[in-house]
Amino acid sequence: MADLIDTGVSAPPGALSTSEHSIRTSPSGKAPPGLRMVRSWIDKRFFAIAATPAIVLVTLVTLIPLIVGIYLSFTNYQPISPSFKFAGLVNYRQLYHDGNTHAAIKNSLIFAGAGIVVELFFGLCIALLLARRMRGMSILRTIYVLPLMVAGVASAVTWRALLNTSNGWVNYFLGLVGLGQPNWLASTSTAMPSVILADAWGGVPIIAIVLLAGLLSLPKEPVDAARMDGASEFAILRFITLPGIRPVLAFAVLFRLVDLFRQFALFSIVTGGGPGLATNVLNFYVYQTTFVFGELGYGAALAIALVVLMAIPLLIIFKLASRGR
Amino acid sequence: MATTLPSLPATAPVVGRRSFFGGLIRTRKARRRTVNGLTIFSLCVGALFVLLPLFWLIDTAFKPAQLAFQIPPHFFYRPTLANFRTLISGQDSQYFSDLGHSLILMVSSVLVALVLGIPAGYSLARSRFRGSKTITVWLIIAYITPALVYIVPLYAIYQKLNLTGSYLSLILYYETFELPLTIFLMRSYFSDVPRELDEAARIDGCTRWLAFRKVILPLVWPGIATVTILVAMSSWGEYFGALIFAGPSTTTAPVAIQNYIGLDSSNWSAMAAAACFLVVPVLALTAFAQRGYMRQIQSASTG
Repeated sequence: MADLIDTGVSAPPGALSTSEHSIRTSPSGKAPPGLRMVRSWIDKRFFAIAATPAIVLVTLVTLIPLIVGIYLSFTNYQPISPSFKFAGLVNYRQLYHDGNTHAAIKNSLIFAGAGIVVELFFGLCIALLLARRMRGMSILRTIYVLPLMVAGVASAVTWRALLNTSNGWVNYFLGLVGLGQPNWLASTSTAMPSVILADAWGGVPIIAIVLLAGLLSLPKEPVDAARMDGASEFAILRFITLPGIRPVLAFAVLFRLVDLFRQFALFSIVTGGGPGLATNVLNFYVYQTTFVFGELGYGAALAIALVVLMAIPLLIIFKLASRGR
Repeated sequence: MATTLPSLPATAPVVGRRSFFGGLIRTRKARRRTVNGLTIFSLCVGALFVLLPLFWLIDTAFKPAQLAFQIPPHFFYRPTLANFRTLISGQDSQYFSDLGHSLILMVSSVLVALVLGIPAGYSLARSRFRGSKTITVWLIIAYITPALVYIVPLYAIYQKLNLTGSYLSLILYYETFELPLTIFLMRSYFSDVPRELDEAARIDGCTRWLAFRKVILPLVWPGIATVTILVAMSSWGEYFGALIFAGPSTTTAPVAIQNYIGLDSSNWSAMAAAACFLVVPVLALTAFAQRGYMRQIQSASTG
């Protein structure tokens, strides 16, 4: 790189038209005119040519399934029977009347809502503490990154074992300190909190690391100035620190909400949607409808419902976050 | 003490307090020490919560199988490799070929994502062609859309094309998240390289391709390494799509681990040993990935 820039100084004068010049001095400069034309054509459209293959593939793998999915949602397609027909709004009408779907939507909202509140609260606390400049902090920061590295399946099987009522460590430790030992995954009232706990294990560190990145990039002067003026620590947090990390905060909330609505491994492995329908969130219910019960057409309609359900809170938060910027 | 003092203005008249506490400096020092102690204490409690599942995983993997279910747990035992041995040569030896499937899928899908995504990222970082803004927005939407929205129709499409169970079906599905992520992150790395370098190379007589290849690309190698790790991780741990699309000859490690969970009895020892294969190699990359996360945060929250 360095010598390429150095030779820029000794470039032959009179190189007025860069495109012409580039052809003349490109490594195989003695190319026949035809090839030269091809080369200059490629050079002029380099950015379009560089982007095209990727854009084509992204379109192929995302847009086509999306369109096919919307089409399938209007059919009664079932993988086991080869013939299917256009069914109009039947699936959407079923969605409107299906009690299980309503329960699943409610569970999704509870899981995502409670999950984001819990994770944001603890994530923010941990980020504020991790941002303090102290000895040994880098070790702690690294520890809090570890859950981000663990595959969802591995953490799911681990939490399933930890929350086991009779053989799990969580109940063992609770017993040690003399607390009750709930029937975590087997009881309808504790199953959802269990999954939220397991999700928080991965989610709190994500929010903490995201917010930490924001906190560390804040300038220190305003905080010092406010402290000089006698502002309380809470006022500094409320009026200087939090507004400063607002874009990062919004990103963390959006990013986590998306993942909460998409959470699958935990429901599939830890609870299986149960007991009963207690943890059957929409994402898992679509999986069951489509691949366990084989109702692919209805599943496609439910998938679209999931996108709508997810898009509403995301758009509201996005609007709130970008207002007054 | 820590709760009452912070609200006191630092510039408040301190004469009286000085005599009472024996000097403002010392009070401040004591306060800082309390706050620091509390910080370390709460962070360590949180760290215990973070480390508990990881400790369980590694502990159970090395524990003799007959001790795995025992309560109170045994923390002192002779570590054994028996659980790993069953995975390699015993009854669960299928797991090793499943790890191989995961590896093949990871390498091929990441290669596709990098080969196509790096030039596209450069292009989006440098030129403002018609629709480049739309493409960026579309990439973000494509990335955050629930996997299910692709999986359901892809299942029908793959069935029609007889692709179910093939590597190709999984690679194509993996590109729904790997490619947008690669393009988006690479765009941010390329944006950090000043445009003047492109221009300098052009004046030197480089074609745009040569300028990209010889001048810009060598500068973003660290970025490419980080992006590779992040994208490879997302492929390595992928579960939902593999559960649906993988056939007997393409079953991935995450799907295989799930098979250790029976309805009535689970084989925790084999499960933990199998999960160790999935988790430990990735943990070794923590430091690199940490940098990548920071980048992801910066580029996503500003752009």
